[in-house]
Amino acid sequence: MFKRTVLSVLFVTILVAALALSFAVPGTEAQDATPAPTETPIVAEIGSGGTHISFWNGLTGSDGVTLNEMLARFAEENPDVSVTVEMIIWNTLYQKLQTAFVANDPPDVILLHASEIPMFGSFGVLRDLGDQYTSGGGWLPDDDISATTMDGMIWDGVIYGIPLDNHGRGLWINTDMFEAAGLSTDPADAPTTYEGWVELFQKLTLDANGNNALSPDFDPENVVQWGYTVGEWPNVNFIAGLYQEGGSFLSEDGTEVLVNSEAGIAALQKTVDLIYEYHVSPPAAGFDTWQGFGAGTVAVLPTGTWFLNQANLFTDINSRAWPNWQFGSQPAAWFGAHTFMIPAATEGEKLDAVLKMIQWVSENQIDWAASGQVPARLSAQAQLDPESYSSNILLGENFGAYGVQDPKSTVTQEMLAYLDAELSAALNGLKSPEDALNDAAERMQEALDRG
Amino acid sequence: MDRLRRSSFYKYFGVYLFLFVLGAMVLFPMVIAVSQSFMTNQEVNRWPPKVIPTEPTLDAYRQVLTQQDLRLDLWLRNSLFAASGHTLAVLALCAPAAYAFARLRFPGNKILFAFLLATIMLPSQVTLIPNYLLMRDLDWLDSFRALIFPGAANVFGVFLLRQFFMQIPQELEEAAVLDGASYFGRFRHVILPLSMNAIMALAIFVFLGHYNDLFWPLIVTSSLETRTLPVGLTILNQSYAGQYRPMILAGAVLSTLPILIVYIVFQRRIIKGVTMTGLAGR
Amino acid sequence: MYQTNARVAKPGLLSQILSPSLKTREAIAAYIFLAPFLIFFSIFFVRAVILAVEYSFYDWRLLRPTRPYIGLENYIELFEDEVWWTAVQNTFVFTIMTVIGTTIVALAAAIAVTQPVRGQGFFRVLLYMPSLFSVGAVGLIWVWLLSTQFGVINYGLSFLGIRPINWLGDPDLVLPALSLTTIWWSFGFPMLILIAGLQGIPEQLYEAARIDGANGRQLLFNITLPLLRPAILFVTVTGVIAHFQVYGQTYIMTSGGPGRASYSVVYYLYQMAWVAFRMGYGAAVAVAIAVIMALLTTLQFLFISRRVEY
Repeated sequence: MFKRTVLSVLFVTILVAALALSFAVPGTEAQDATPAPTETPIVAEIGSGGTHISFWNGLTGSDGVTLNEMLARFAEENPDVSVTVEMIIWNTLYQKLQTAFVANDPPDVILLHASEIPMFGSFGVLRDLGDQYTSGGGWLPDDDISATTMDGMIWDGVIYGIPLDNHGRGLWINTDMFEAAGLSTDPADAPTTYEGWVELFQKLTLDANGNNALSPDFDPENVVQWGYTVGEWPNVNFIAGLYQEGGSFLSEDGTEVLVNSEAGIAALQKTVDLIYEYHVSPPAAGFDTWQGFGAGTVAVLPTGTWFLNQANLFTDINSRAWPNWQFGSQPAAWFGAHTFMIPAATEGEKLDAVLKMIQWVSENQIDWAASGQVPARLSAQAQLDPESYSSNILLGENFGAYGVQDPKSTVTQEMLAYLDAELSAALNGLKSPEDALNDAAERMQEALDRG
Repeated sequence: MDRLRRSSFYKYFGVYLFLFVLGAMVLFPMVIAVSQSFMTNQEVNRWPPKVIPTEPTLDAYRQVLTQQDLRLDLWLRNSLFAASGHTLAVLALCAPAAYAFARLRFPGNKILFAFLLATIMLPSQVTLIPNYLLMRDLDWLDSFRALIFPGAANVFGVFLLRQFFMQIPQELEEAAVLDGASYFGRFRHVILPLSMNAIMALAIFVFLGHYNDLFWPLIVTSSLETRTLPVGLTILNQSYAGQYRPMILAGAVLSTLPILIVYIVFQRRIIKGVTMTGLAGR
Repeated sequence: MYQTNARVAKPGLLSQILSPSLKTREAIAAYIFLAPFLIFFSIFFVRAVILAVEYSFYDWRLLRPTRPYIGLENYIELFEDEVWWTAVQNTFVFTIMTVIGTTIVALAAAIAVTQPVRGQGFFRVLLYMPSLFSVGAVGLIWVWLLSTQFGVINYGLSFLGIRPINWLGDPDLVLPALSLTTIWWSFGFPMLILIAGLQGIPEQLYEAARIDGANGRQLLFNITLPLLRPAILFVTVTGVIAHFQVYGQTYIMTSGGPGRASYSVVYYLYQMAWVAFRMGYGAAVAVAIAVIMALLTTLQFLFISRRVEY
């Protein structure tokens, strides 16, 4: 009986303490206004103006914080507006948006990827933003946006978006490992052929006895340091590889899926060979690439602009950005554009406030570079300070020069989901690249035909 | 207690061994999770893995509890409110229905009950979309009503309570009948007081299921005011798993704590309640 | 299946009081007791299921204004889809492994914690604890434990000289790995049911058998297991219903991969309904899942009703 009493008292104490802690702490800390860098609030209330707008986006990590800081300044300069920012991870955001549109209860403004413009545009739930561009009598000069990015804003001849940034793929390298292997860390020295890259990865792949993958004594079963890793976001890597080999995702008229072309098969075969032929990358599943890089077991990490803050704040690793790999005959790197869109239901005061906000953010885009991403406006890109934003500039130039985007289709998400599953089969040795891509193309074609 | 004292350690050596091995296997992942919640963001990414933090830190908890607008306190309150409300709704609907099935004669009793039992096998995904649209039409989206009422007609609850009510001796009710009690009086004053353990068991299962539910609250709530803890944590989890492992684990630990306490406090009553339903044999 | 009425009908005090008019009153009272439940059940369940079946005959995208009627086409497409059958097969394998695994672990645990040993209460709480976690937390913890290169499990095995095992990347191991995770997470509830069942077995039965010279094994096989059969069957039926709907673990830990080696039927449903936004097709998938589960459960109930009466 005594034991039970003691236990009960203990539990009640813990309960009370936990509740007290959870209720008391946010109140007392509220004055501590500066959140640590790169923590994105899930829901932020910004400003206290009478015109209240709700804003959904899928930004995480430093992206979200940077944007919220910008919005705080916007709200300061525009005291009549307040903004509720809700951060919902991308996949979930698409689902929530669909249901919100069905329920006729969408937010006042959203930040999505340009690749969702065809889907939402075709449903007729987005506002035509052509009047915001100078060509339609607005404030945003059309020629301040690169042609490829601009193309992504348009569906069926209507402009549905205002781009915030270009974010895309590049490499992050562990400079200590490069130096230990006697390799240059200068991006200008990056290889330009598949053979060159394979050799680089081989020199950086070490087994438990310290032999690299070029050594005849190399033990592929016992690798402790990988030169490369294929696991992060295979579908965008595949898209880049496809274009590097001279292929394309869809036919010119957008009605035919071409991922199983010779170019596609060659691109995927080269990636698969890095795992099973050259043993310079682990198979895709069961290997957390960011953790691998952070733990010092991966030399070259194919990732994106968004890795800047992760690299600096969450690893002990000395690293720097490199241009994207080139396994084919021409360079290519995948990129996307975070884009403002306005639901057709937004009107009146709220619409004015939303437009004011978008214009303000667009005109202050240079600050967005702190997130690691590349501002969408060419004038902002030109103003970047090379000291602090070296990775933005390096990768941003590449997107301008040879960037490729997701296919433009109303069923892009569905097609990419099918592609993902088949790439996973190939990158884990379950299917040959050819079979995987044929199976993917068949399902993707069906999705495309359904429209 | 006596029997325990007399029981020799050696006689039950095998049982102890089994319990310690199984206990360790059950405990280990939880220890890792708790332990990592006290690590720094860098340390969790190091290799070889550390089980004990070299420099334990409360940073992750501080982040979770103090980060502006990561409203763990509000989400916890929302979750507790919604789960409690849902549990009460389930009990209010299921207990009378179970009483009717267990004790009252009416045409269609057997068929109706068999029909209800059969619906247990329909996966909840079937009702998801129609119910979502219903919420929209009722203008219940983003309100606690959407979290509390759909699913409150819980067939498992009727089944469990009916089994329990059937075990209560008929004579007790007959005595009440002699005192002139109505059907409601018999339910209220005879059946319910004798069924607290079973009701408690059902309440805990329903509460737990609702507390950890994810997809439905995710699509029907959209504002800070109605967001529940698992939804908030899952979004946190999906966004930060690669980076803020300690913070997410700290969130998971904190969100599990309240229900752990509830479970510890009511553990005996739950088992008693389940035992007496006859659900598990006789 | 149903015995109470028989007991009520026995000549007793109650039935003497009952007159035909009282019988009507009893029925009216019963319907009043049932009404709130049935109203909610009709609105949120029956209505929803009927609508879902109706939707399954349409080509319905959530946001598209038109919603053409296409008859059985969704079902035909489903039957012809290899991926669906892969998902069905995976789900069956996963369900069988998980239900057998949880039942065995839960049974062993329940027997152990009902022995007169010290720390009973402690172990009952400890062993149920994983069930209190949300699937998100479980997935997060186990992905890390099972990781090929950084996983603690492989790290432990390396001391035994075992090379890293690719738990979540090997198509033959991914379902067992998910099953292991699920067993860890969910054996608590069946354990509670079985503890309750064991406590319902009269101690005298064991004492009598011991006097007859029965050993521990005989006690287990001749008394415990036969008397526990209703509880075990209840646990397996609810287990099949729960685990056939596996989704969260796959979503968080493997995304259905490698390839489609851990694609489950509900994962397939979510892909179709919430990634492709094909609600009509998703409804057809939901109906198909319901039919499979109905068959499975009916089989189990047929099996049960021969020896167990509820």
